[in-house]
Amino acid sequence: MKLSIRHRTEYRYSERVRHSTQYLRLTPRPSRRQRILDWHLDLPEHATRAADGFDNILHVLTLDHPHQSIELTARGQVEIVDEDQEDDDARLSPLVFARTSALTATDDALADLAQRYRGPASLDTLERLSQRILDDMPFAAGVTDVASDAAAAYRGGQGVCQDHTHVFLACCRALGIPARYVSGYLYSDDSEHVASHAWAEVWQDDRWHTFDVTNQTRRPRHHLKLAVGLDYLDACPVRGVRYGGGVESLNAVAHVRLTGAEQ
Amino acid sequence: MGPLSLPDVSGYDEMILPGGKVRDAYKGYHRWLLGQVHDGLLRKRKEAELQFHRVGITFNVYGEESGIERLIPFDALPRVIPAADWRRLEQGAIQRVRALNLFLHDIYHDQAIVRTGLVPAEQIFGNAQYQPCMQDLDLPNRVYSHISGVDVIRDGEGTWYVLEDNLRTPSGVSYMIENRRMMMRLFPELFAHQSVAPVEHYPSLLLETLQESGNGPNPTVVLLTPGRFNSAYFEHAFLAQQMGIELVEGADLFVKDGFVFMRTTAGPQRVDVIYRRIDDDYLDPLAFRPDSMLGVPGLLSVYRDGNVILANAMGTGVGDDKSIYPYVPDLIRFYLDEEPILANVPTWQCRDPKALDHVLAHLPELVIKEVHGAGGYGMLVGPAASRAEIEAFRERLKARPANYIAQPTLSLSTCPIFVEEGIAPRHIDLRPFVLSGKETRLVPGGLTRVAMSAGSLVVNSSQGGGTKDTWVLEDGSC
Repeated sequence: MKLSIRHRTEYRYSERVRHSTQYLRLTPRPSRRQRILDWHLDLPEHATRAADGFDNILHVLTLDHPHQSIELTARGQVEIVDEDQEDDDARLSPLVFARTSALTATDDALADLAQRYRGPASLDTLERLSQRILDDMPFAAGVTDVASDAAAAYRGGQGVCQDHTHVFLACCRALGIPARYVSGYLYSDDSEHVASHAWAEVWQDDRWHTFDVTNQTRRPRHHLKLAVGLDYLDACPVRGVRYGGGVESLNAVAHVRLTGAEQ
Repeated sequence: MGPLSLPDVSGYDEMILPGGKVRDAYKGYHRWLLGQVHDGLLRKRKEAELQFHRVGITFNVYGEESGIERLIPFDALPRVIPAADWRRLEQGAIQRVRALNLFLHDIYHDQAIVRTGLVPAEQIFGNAQYQPCMQDLDLPNRVYSHISGVDVIRDGEGTWYVLEDNLRTPSGVSYMIENRRMMMRLFPELFAHQSVAPVEHYPSLLLETLQESGNGPNPTVVLLTPGRFNSAYFEHAFLAQQMGIELVEGADLFVKDGFVFMRTTAGPQRVDVIYRRIDDDYLDPLAFRPDSMLGVPGLLSVYRDGNVILANAMGTGVGDDKSIYPYVPDLIRFYLDEEPILANVPTWQCRDPKALDHVLAHLPELVIKEVHGAGGYGMLVGPAASRAEIEAFRERLKARPANYIAQPTLSLSTCPIFVEEGIAPRHIDLRPFVLSGKETRLVPGGLTRVAMSAGSLVVNSSQGGGTKDTWVLEDGSC
């Protein structure tokens, strides 16, 4: 399946920003499952390209002069090869992903939830856990924000893909199962869901398995992976720090279209 | 008040032998002491306090009203280490730090130690101090811990033990230097008659170590401090000034085009080596804690590209964690093919069922520590605990055995200090500072910390502990 992506992010500030530095994870890494046909970043200035500790492609953008807005666009075409499984990069020990993180720490409620699925780890058990999480916290935008952690989101009883993923990761890790956060894009003809997406991967039987809690699927046929990490903070498409600027307003739009013969 | 008499001691005292004679290393000092009167020494102590206030050696206390600064008590009776003892300590500390640097290189590369099964994988990769961003990163000279503090003690029999390793941002070296300066100012005559090995060159050795940790010639070195509210800020300012390098805070640095720059009145200047006194979690708000502005946004990306050196490296904490400590003697054998020169305190890892059984059967005699804890939290000191406390701890231990280690209760050696009434023994420890650049070395001395109240084993400055000058005698003098 060929997908065409256009993802525009615009920050506007009420006052002048003196200096800003951003980590951008807006470029997908090619793998057996995702072929990058072409990809461009339109940025206000040249950014340095690097790889982060999780092997994500990272661009570092520094604006060391006064500015009042930042506009970032990622666009390109990719091909998702559905029948192939993901490359399993063995550079980092999967055990790293069995650790908890600030956004995936458990409270009593999450520990209780995880406890119900204790026993010999199996993908079927985790699928029931995933179903239970979506039942307990149906999709709803605007209830949580990007800084919400798993425990708070679960308490709130509603959330978006980021929250579903964090709750799922928190439970997996409480059960001692390595699990990681994935950020990326999702093709969907359902306009309710945004094209920017997050899901989880679980390490079982020496490979990573997809768990998209929000969409209750384990088959990532419409998913383009941008970055992985312990949680949202490691993998999010844009993370920045600024000096000055006052109030920030953010406008982000991502479009994912089917291209080629399948359109 | 007249001349001073030596107190009776029990256990191992650094100066006084059972029966009242002094050890050989203290003979010279003792001859001098016999000529002193108590009031004179008390006057000297006042003078020292005044001087320390004037040069600004103070210490911020966490948990008290902000802005409170106080002096760390200084004791004017030196701790003397004989030359032969020092040689052994020096070799032992160097051996230990070399092995720990090799261990850090290994776990961030091939992980032979895990593959051979010597250290279980989850002890390393499950440890929050293992930094995934360090995996496969190549560092100059393969040095991770450029500055290491190796805390040692003597037990009641006089045997040296390593209590812990400090491979993150060890502090206290400024007291080693200032205490010596103070002693030379107060009692110049003491140094005229004895060969005490100098420590004043520590800052120049440190600068050399930092300079040679980089890739090119004449690197620009800076000291990155969290700022004046940090408890060790005095030391940061002191060391920067002594080395003649810039003392900077996070906001003075920025990242652009793959390099780190310092803002100066003459425009941005490239920085090659950062002696950072900020913990890993605060170094780069874009990679670690997002709520902290102490660090430099983007720093991790430059570091991973090899365009800036951090001393110490990121991720060294996995080498000085209490869960790794029990393995250090094995690490020395594995990486260096040598027998450890300095002993570890015997440690039971409660994750091992046999060790747990032993620990549960001997709780009243043992010290139980949390594996990842620090600063004495979550700790049980068996001999000092009530029956109820021990039973409550027993349940916690049974519930999460892997979270605890246990050690015998050691009685630290004592060293006399000056008190209002005369001279009295107090418990001490020692932190020598090991520098690792192209080679591994240390200045002869360290920071001796003193528990200021009788019988106390707590030497931490945050809990009222004091310091004293540490003399390493050069050969031929006693």
